Amino acid sequence: MMENDIFKALADPTRRMIFEKLASGSMNASSLRDGVEISQPAMSQHLAILCNAKLVRQERSGRFVNYEVDPDGLAMIANWLAKYRAYWPARIDALKDLLKDMDQ
Amino acid sequence: MSKRQTDARASTPVIDDEETVGMVLEYELEAPPEKIWRALTIQEYRERWLPGSDLAVVEPMAEVTGEQICFRMRDSDPPHLESVVTFQLTPQGNGGTVLRVTHRLIDSRLVSPMPGAANSNEPVLMQAA
Repeated sequence: MMENDIFKALADPTRRMIFEKLASGSMNASSLRDGVEISQPAMSQHLAILCNAKLVRQERSGRFVNYEVDPDGLAMIANWLAKYRAYWPARIDALKDLLKDMDQ
Repeated sequence: MSKRQTDARASTPVIDDEETVGMVLEYELEAPPEKIWRALTIQEYRERWLPGSDLAVVEPMAEVTGEQICFRMRDSDPPHLESVVTFQLTPQGNGGTVLRVTHRLIDSRLVSPMPGAANSNEPVLMQAA
């Protein structure tokens, strides 16, 4: 069942981190490892699980392999994340304006 | 009146150990928790920065007075994913407040009805504040 695969794939904090990084743009496996303490085989395994759940797909260009959020899979999660990443800073700015008004 | 910048302490989404996808953001605000609490709970104030049209239900799902409050949200764009946002207030020594915004997807299309994932060591229940 695909939904269970998605759930399991995203139940792991490292895979959620990978997925969220890819939600901002495609990346190769070594860029994905930047700033994260994770071995190459472990990263490959996480990426394989994300690919199997159709959350992420491989994109080959010549010798290079990039990973990206699968547009046919759960791009909706990526869209959601992108939307609310921009949404909250704008809402908090509005809250700050309101707090200033409430002072009067 | 202080002119100090009140920008986000960390505005980048981070991941924690909860079960679903989402983001945690923290903001340092130059207002005491009581005042921010009013901005969160008095509907007329809340509408000015968090419009009810962005919420699935305008009434809070749960609250701990003065400390934290949760709302259910529904994306106005298709596929209208449902989520829960929790605002937590932590008073700071300088009279300000850290506002922590935890926003997670809870859409039934994404969250399995299974009694628990193999690597889960927590109950599947959503946080009840």
